[in-house]
Amino acid sequence: MAVDQRSAIEREIRVEARPETVFEFFTDPEKMTRWMGREAEIDPRPGGAYRIDIVGHVAVGEYVEIDPPQRVVFTWGWEGGGRLVGPGATIVEVTFEPDAGGTIVRFVHRDLPEDQVAPHAHGWDHYLPRLAVAAGGGDPGPDNGPGGS
Amino acid sequence: MACAVEAVIRALAEPRRRRILTLVAAEELPAGEIAAHFEVTRPAISQHLGVLKEAGLVTERRDGRRRLYQARPEGLDELRSFLESFWDERLERLKLAAEQEERRKARGRRST
Repeated sequence: MAVDQRSAIEREIRVEARPETVFEFFTDPEKMTRWMGREAEIDPRPGGAYRIDIVGHVAVGEYVEIDPPQRVVFTWGWEGGGRLVGPGATIVEVTFEPDAGGTIVRFVHRDLPEDQVAPHAHGWDHYLPRLAVAAGGGDPGPDNGPGGS
Repeated sequence: MACAVEAVIRALAEPRRRRILTLVAAEELPAGEIAAHFEVTRPAISQHLGVLKEAGLVTERRDGRRRLYQARPEGLDELRSFLESFWDERLERLKLAAEQEERRKARGRRST
């Protein structure tokens, strides 16, 4: 049981804004930096790359699916992190469901399927891709880690 | 916390250190036996073991003159907690920013 539960982070949050509004915060660089990072370069189309500077660490990945205003999927990794912790190591899926004038945002961050991560996935290898994300927030600063704001 | 996480990430960025972790994941091994798996010098491996130990990814135990190492999976559990906090905080910021934006749009609609 532990492996699957530990490999994904799932969250659900209600936002008092329409899905169209919330969705823009995942594809518009100016809006992106209002909630994550201090600088963002974004090419919001399937296969398009993004690069978000989170205080010295750089999160990088590619959009996999963009379906406004319902769903966005992108890979997530850390620039310079190598094959296991680098770009493309993990995947983030976000869905937006209308809810009485607001939006239920469902967020899932998980490893890519093992066959895409490593041909001989070892127990440790399974954990390693998650590091890519931790790297994104590993520094104090304006957009800092937990408990920092 | 952030510093601990950085230490773990730095430790894991090096391919040899990741290989060492897989070697000691299942069993405790003496430094010499670990070094035998690599082409590099024994001091180089000792240095890698030191970095892993500092990052909390392996434990070190002395047995007479030998030093034994074993992986410490809790080192990664801490990262897991960090990651969860990271996204919790980001999503909270997202909520605030999106709600602010929605109010701004609503004001725009009313004024036209």
